[in-house]
Amino acid sequence: MMSAKTKIYIPNETTSNSVGSNDINRVISSLKGFDEVEIIRNGSWGAFWLEPFIEVEKDGERKGACYKGVDLSHCKTIDDFMTDFQNREPFDISRIDFIKKQMRIVFSRIGKGDPLDIAFYQSNKGFNSLRNALNLESQEVIDKIKKSGLTGRGGAAFPTGIKMQTVHDQNNSIKYLACNADEGDGGTFSDRLIMESDPFSLIEGMTIAAYAVGASKGFIYLRSEYPLAKSFLSKAIDIANKNNFLGNNILSSDFNFEIDLRIGAGSYVCGEETAMMESIEGRRGLVRSKPPLPAINGLFEKPTLINNVVTLATIPPLLNGSLSEFSEIGSGKSIGTMPFQLCGNILQSGLVETGFDISIGDMIKTFGKETKSGKPIHAIQIGGPLGLYLSSSMMSTKLTIESLQSIKGSVGHGGIVIFDDSVDMSEQAKFSMEFCAKESCGKCTPCRIGSIRGMEIIDRLQINKSSKQDIDLLHDLCETMEATSLCAMGGMTPNPIYSIINHFPGELTKE
Amino acid sequence: MTNLHEIIEPYVDIDGGLMPALHAIQEEEGYISKDAISELAKAFNYSNAEVLDVLTYYDDFTLEPLGRNIVRICRAEACQSLKSKELTDDLTSHFNLSLDETTADSKITLKEVFCLGNCALGPSVMINETVIGEADKSKVIKFLNEIDE
Repeated sequence: MMSAKTKIYIPNETTSNSVGSNDINRVISSLKGFDEVEIIRNGSWGAFWLEPFIEVEKDGERKGACYKGVDLSHCKTIDDFMTDFQNREPFDISRIDFIKKQMRIVFSRIGKGDPLDIAFYQSNKGFNSLRNALNLESQEVIDKIKKSGLTGRGGAAFPTGIKMQTVHDQNNSIKYLACNADEGDGGTFSDRLIMESDPFSLIEGMTIAAYAVGASKGFIYLRSEYPLAKSFLSKAIDIANKNNFLGNNILSSDFNFEIDLRIGAGSYVCGEETAMMESIEGRRGLVRSKPPLPAINGLFEKPTLINNVVTLATIPPLLNGSLSEFSEIGSGKSIGTMPFQLCGNILQSGLVETGFDISIGDMIKTFGKETKSGKPIHAIQIGGPLGLYLSSSMMSTKLTIESLQSIKGSVGHGGIVIFDDSVDMSEQAKFSMEFCAKESCGKCTPCRIGSIRGMEIIDRLQINKSSKQDIDLLHDLCETMEATSLCAMGGMTPNPIYSIINHFPGELTKE
Repeated sequence: MTNLHEIIEPYVDIDGGLMPALHAIQEEEGYISKDAISELAKAFNYSNAEVLDVLTYYDDFTLEPLGRNIVRICRAEACQSLKSKELTDDLTSHFNLSLDETTADSKITLKEVFCLGNCALGPSVMINETVIGEADKSKVIKFLNEIDE
């Protein structure tokens, strides 16, 4: 009787590779007897602080251990490695609190298998939703998305179903779908994790959305800083085409859909939807005025559905039995699960998919534990470079869309960056202005020039701490940027600065 | 300039083909030369100025060749919280370069980048297409020495 081969899982994912996964794969693949085991390059579970997390599956039991900084040079054979592995007290990662206390609906497959193994994807509910969708009228699909309460996970939190309805209702024989994969916010990686560790879920979500709105062509606009995601996506698109999940007459229906992967070129503003369209069309990434809405007149002047990666990857679970589970989580605008990204100076960093209705304090206590440096937490930035800095006295702040809106903040794309007490808030305020100056598309003067003036004012305040004139000027400047910039770049850059003025008294001027 | 023509050709007839064509030239040639600009203008029916207008907007496209290895230090918030500023100072002083400069032997160009999506294990540095997490000066130097062997 043939017994199943022992499986060794070695993640192939940016963060895991960044701390040695590829090196471990090289070592294990060169050990004597390695052909007696099956090596699977899986995705990451998103418990990044454990990476490189190597798992062994034997006799139906799968356990893993952290191999960070481990020297395997004493191993000559696979048996040596197995002994080494057992000595590391391996455990089942799905049972640790960090994973167990999450509500993984969108990220349910992450880390479990080879991201490009289409059989694995299908045996874990993959493409069932597409089959279900193709058996429904497009309006019925949209109704389900509306019913789910899903809002855009890219930052603006607009109701996804309503956007789809607008595109659906346009009378135009050509419509497009554009997936915004220009995940530029510092402190975010949920889109990258989907694209690298579960790329078929994005393809499936895009195909369903395209069917619902009547688009026959989709673009993925991927930032160039994600080369591994590019490699996974292009392979996944090829595999999906070969298996008739993309292309003509998808799954023997009369629906045709193709996906074209386009690469950005290092511009943050191109994550703004109108700038993204300019870039896809081959121009400078300058922001367009709205109206017209992209849903009415978008890419190449055709009606275009624009959603970010996580939003689109959330669609398959909604058409596959998880709709009521999803829509029963949370209330108001903050429905369903949100992949928060816990990072920066935090011990247990990684992806946390959970409901919005959790305080920042509980998020840290339950998942992140404490700072990596062991020092006290001083500031927490939520929602990317345009998001608020919260102080350590604001731990009861809920992470709902409404709660953060009420203090002039935003959940944004779900990034949570922790700083210990060595942070200089004055430098953080100056950085907000510097980032705006570097990344402004240049269309609106308050954003293009105001941000440079803002850096200069904060520079002066760092020297002459109590200049009332400069403090008034900074307020004036922030108000002008907010009121007169076309997009969020200039319009929201003042938000982190206001939050430093309001929640970190005296720290803007280093008093 | 048959070579340039060959690089551009696959993108001429696709919608918004200028960006992928620029990427292809940057990758093949290492920069966008004056000849390439003229060739692109001809192929896409733009003026030279229009092509220059597009390419100078994007950080990834350069008008001069860069070093053989591009070292990008992440300066975004999550890496800031883990001392990316000190790492930047360490690397600029080690290589005796400012950001956006190239060593005299053309081996290394130092650049900044805002977020590599490796925020959980910062500070991060990307060397060509490889991301180094929990980076420090010695990890970066070790990696550069290994790829140079």
